[in-house]
Amino acid sequence: MTAHLAIADLVKHFGGVVATDHVTLDFPPGSLTAVIGPNGAGKSTLFNLITGRIRPDGGQVLLDGADIAGLAETAIVARGIGRAFQIASLFPSFTVAESLAAAILAHRRQTHRMLTRFPLAAARGRADEVMHLVGLDAHADRLAQHLSHGDQKLLDIALALALDPGVLLLDEPTAGMGRDERWQIIETVHRLWSARRMTMIFIEHDMDIVFKIAQSVRVLKYGRVLAEGTPAEIRDNDEVIAAYLGARYAKAAP
Amino acid sequence: MLALLACVLTLLIASALGSKPLIDTLMRLAIFGLYAVSLNILVGYTGLVSFGHAMFFGFGAYAFGLLMQTGVTSLPAAALASLALSAALALIVGALCIRLADIYFSFLTLAFQMLLHAVILSWVSLTGGDQGLQGGIPRPRFLGINLADPWQVFVVTTVVFFASLLAIRTILQSPFGYALRMVRDNAPRAAALGLPVQRYKLAAFVIAGLFGALAGILMALYVSGAYPNFAFWTLSGEGMFMIMLGGIGVFLGPVLGAAIFLLLNDTVTRFTEYNGMVMGVVLLVVVLGLRQGLLDVVMARLRPR
Amino acid sequence: MNLDAFAGCLSSASCLITQTSAGLIIGMLLFLVACGVTLIFGVLGVINFAHGAFYMLGAYLALTAYQLTDSYLAAVLCAAAGVGLFGVAFDRLFMSRVYNSNVLMQLLVCYAFVLILDDAVKMIWGAEFQSMGMPAVFALRPLHVFGGLVPPFYVFLVAVTVAIAIALGGLIERTLFGKIVRAAAVNRQMVSALGINTSLLYASVFGLGALLAGAAGALAAPVRSATPGMGVSILIESFIVTVIGGMGSIAGAFTAAVLLGLVRSFGSIGFPLFTDGLMFGLMVIVLLIRPQGLFARGSA
Repeated sequence: MTAHLAIADLVKHFGGVVATDHVTLDFPPGSLTAVIGPNGAGKSTLFNLITGRIRPDGGQVLLDGADIAGLAETAIVARGIGRAFQIASLFPSFTVAESLAAAILAHRRQTHRMLTRFPLAAARGRADEVMHLVGLDAHADRLAQHLSHGDQKLLDIALALALDPGVLLLDEPTAGMGRDERWQIIETVHRLWSARRMTMIFIEHDMDIVFKIAQSVRVLKYGRVLAEGTPAEIRDNDEVIAAYLGARYAKAAP
Repeated sequence: MLALLACVLTLLIASALGSKPLIDTLMRLAIFGLYAVSLNILVGYTGLVSFGHAMFFGFGAYAFGLLMQTGVTSLPAAALASLALSAALALIVGALCIRLADIYFSFLTLAFQMLLHAVILSWVSLTGGDQGLQGGIPRPRFLGINLADPWQVFVVTTVVFFASLLAIRTILQSPFGYALRMVRDNAPRAAALGLPVQRYKLAAFVIAGLFGALAGILMALYVSGAYPNFAFWTLSGEGMFMIMLGGIGVFLGPVLGAAIFLLLNDTVTRFTEYNGMVMGVVLLVVVLGLRQGLLDVVMARLRPR
Repeated sequence: MNLDAFAGCLSSASCLITQTSAGLIIGMLLFLVACGVTLIFGVLGVINFAHGAFYMLGAYLALTAYQLTDSYLAAVLCAAAGVGLFGVAFDRLFMSRVYNSNVLMQLLVCYAFVLILDDAVKMIWGAEFQSMGMPAVFALRPLHVFGGLVPPFYVFLVAVTVAIAIALGGLIERTLFGKIVRAAAVNRQMVSALGINTSLLYASVFGLGALLAGAAGALAAPVRSATPGMGVSILIESFIVTVIGGMGSIAGAFTAAVLLGLVRSFGSIGFPLFTDGLMFGLMVIVLLIRPQGLFARGSA
């Protein structure tokens, strides 16, 4: 499953501050895009607007051409936009298998059933599949709260993946991890994308990771789009270097 | 299956011993055990700390008593009608209360319960005010069951208790029950997975209210009356005390809690009129010392990491 | 329901005056209790369910102090200071242990103290109604205002409460302490990150809230009889005040308290059975229209 996500002229104010300032972006079906920018650039706000956690003040969010801006969060999830969080957002008292089965049932609108026993066999099968996909099989029966930091991040991504989304938003999948762990998780992410070809958008601060796996890059600053292009183009963009990348990448450029 | 076994066993033991105090104790345990378990649907499983649960206990008791007194001739019909009324009440009160987060929710539930208490006290012509429902509750025969006989009341209460426990257990083990746990553990994440969180909170509130009211109906049947203190805030506090004692993370914790609470309260009352003082100190020790209920402690020891 | 009596009162100046002054008294006491609740909630994020018991304690302490010293001033000061100190101890020794726990734990600690305090009062002062009676200073003839009778003590009570409200407003708006309190209401983490001693801050806010409740109890003593368990109803009403006025707003608490006091006093004439219902109705309407309260600053 894959989908086309486009944002047109999106605006969001918080009090007097413009967090998203007429942003227009396009994410073609099956693309893998990195969103970068300094702290406070409005990256997470952008995710919150797309997923309906907060309502935009103006503009459109188009999913396969249909405007979903202003819909409730649950309605947007139902249309196939999944999301993982910067700080792994889990159900601490659930085992890994239970977490995924519950996510699947919630997505299938089967959680109103009161007389069958949790989890339904179908959900269990799909949960196993997802667990295998992200490599958490070995931890199926461990509580989410007892997982290592890296596995918690994986489970968070797996929860979103369980919904079989057309668009997957990952807010800093490598936040707070050591170097080795980072590459491990990023390989998993890249493998998922290659295997499923969903439209994937991720926020990332580590430029090595961005330039290694992203097909294209969007740079935000002060709520605006500063630049967009392929990793190579972004690396050579003077404005981006000045505003964000800084000296290290400037020297690396020929 | 286990519930059926336990039910039969309880009845057998009670009939073998046949002592009146034992039966009285078991009756109260069944009633308050069910009340505590119903409260724990909210507190333990949905993460909604209601401080007004006795509202439903009291409402169920009064609705049932009044219906029986004012001409409904079938006892099961009156019970079902009062359950339906309680559910409607829970729907309205719940819809208002879940608009507020956390501690506001607790306070608002308490406030609504005190409103009901005030109505019961002041609407003397209907409720008998602080004297409680007067004249006893008629208990006509149905299906060959004669509830004027204390032993038969005990049998019915026991059966209803175990059937309710089984029903609540089934609900909590179902996909719906796990949706409630999702709300408790992490409501924003549940919403991001497509779960309509508010609707589930409301559903939990109504279900808890329903079983709370059922406990109230059993109480009205047992004492053949209804009293304002059924809807007083102290009973809500006692409910939380019970589930805290027994353990909020284990299904049967509240039943154990209710047993300990009743035992403790009876013992203390025998020695001093200041039982609130003693119970308060016990509660402080449990909350600040153990920080969880007895069965919680046991389960934490048993569970492999 | 007695609409005739209600209409009759509305058209009679003397009845209007009497009921208004009675309503103001209720409102003043409510305000003193509610602003403690709202302050503590604003800074600590905890609702003190034992706050009503503090009010009760204040009334009983005042009673004893008055009997011992025969001075009403001493009684008020003694009650306020005593309950304030008790509040500080309660916060440091008990509540501070559950600030990082869930709501259930906080609630149960408060509940335990309500049980303990109610019984302690019963042990020390007995379970019967106790009355201080009107202190000699105020045992004057009632004032005649447009044909209505207003006891001089009522005027005193209103004046004292308004003075406290103004002083409190000044404390919050103009002092460093107030600045910290306002900052904490917006962002608790930030305040502790700034290196402010939160234990001291929490204890002083809790103490201040308790002191106000104690003062309210003392001020209520001449016009209300004291009884164990008297705290619960004022706790509920003060919560309604904070919902209507908006959590954290002193001005909101004052306005809402006066409003509720008037509803109580006039309601008791027209709709004696439904006075409580009227108050709750008001709260429900506010909750539906403006859940953050009528006077809350910014968004919730």
